[in-house]
Amino acid sequence: MFILTKIADLVQIAPAQFEKHSRVAIEDNINAKYSNRVIQKIGLCICMYDLLWASEGLIGHGTGLVNVNVEFRLIVFRPFKGETILGRISSATPEGINIRTDFFEEIFVSYKELPESCEFNHNAQLWTWVVDDDRMYYDKNEPVRLSVIDEVWHDQVPEGTAEDAVEQAKKLSPYSIQGTMMKEGLGVCIWWDDTEE
Amino acid sequence: MKILESQSALLTNHEVYTFLQNQAREYQEQKRRGPGNLETLRRELLQYLRSEENPLSQEPPAYNDESIAKLLERLRPYEIQKGEMVMIMNLRPVNIPMLNAVLEDMEERFTAEEQEDIAAGIEEVLGKFPPKGQGEEEGDAMQTTENGS
Repeated sequence: MFILTKIADLVQIAPAQFEKHSRVAIEDNINAKYSNRVIQKIGLCICMYDLLWASEGLIGHGTGLVNVNVEFRLIVFRPFKGETILGRISSATPEGINIRTDFFEEIFVSYKELPESCEFNHNAQLWTWVVDDDRMYYDKNEPVRLSVIDEVWHDQVPEGTAEDAVEQAKKLSPYSIQGTMMKEGLGVCIWWDDTEE
Repeated sequence: MKILESQSALLTNHEVYTFLQNQAREYQEQKRRGPGNLETLRRELLQYLRSEENPLSQEPPAYNDESIAKLLERLRPYEIQKGEMVMIMNLRPVNIPMLNAVLEDMEERFTAEEQEDIAAGIEEVLGKFPPKGQGEEEGDAMQTTENGS
């Protein structure tokens, strides 16, 4: 689920932060910039893992900001294709099931990726897996396992007015994951919990 | 910003969990708060990694820093790939259907006995959840699911 990504960047330390140790100021700056943000084709950044290198600080002309060139590694959430991960069902529609984790909400399993004999119950807004005469429910909030089959990226480069950009950002999340539950062992966790050996 | 290496390593959940826990402890000792976005994300991520289905939620901890090395040693004969190994660490599949969700083409690659032995090996090294005495703490998510098995 997690990888390390190596990045080079310029960190600017404001005079108000001079009382901090350099290492702390640099780390805080990096985390403020990256943590909980998506880098296109990289993933959701968690936080700085380690600082590999930092240049001497150079005071910027006229601003008083100290400029430091740094290289560091970042912990990034980026499950690989084919990886099985845990999540919880957040909602269901005829198109499929939306799944979230505590920190990442954009996971979707299309109806095409559910086991064959699944049906959608419009009244209850949930999917049911019918096996022989048993009905098993994909209930809301239920912990599930799914396997990642694809990822979708949307670069939110602002175009046009600020309002347009905000509108568009609401519709398209920068990074979302498509999953499947069409394999034994996937789907609602407790279905597979206690099998007699 | 310049990406120097998009993926320089793969981390297990246990490694990320340990890192974040240490970070939280260090910050507290130094009476220091990280940026708000980090504090929020760390809290949510720790919550996820500690959730009931997650092996890291177990007390006393079932994992330690030697777990990976021991597991690699135990499963050496089976040529399990790196990605699969990471999933085994993260999900701890101790029965056959769960193992099937983690190993690609399991049926073709391993005989029934081998599958049993892999699951047993995982349980030996990483342990498993004690049989459910039905944890009462978190009631809301557990309703209407008795028709499973």
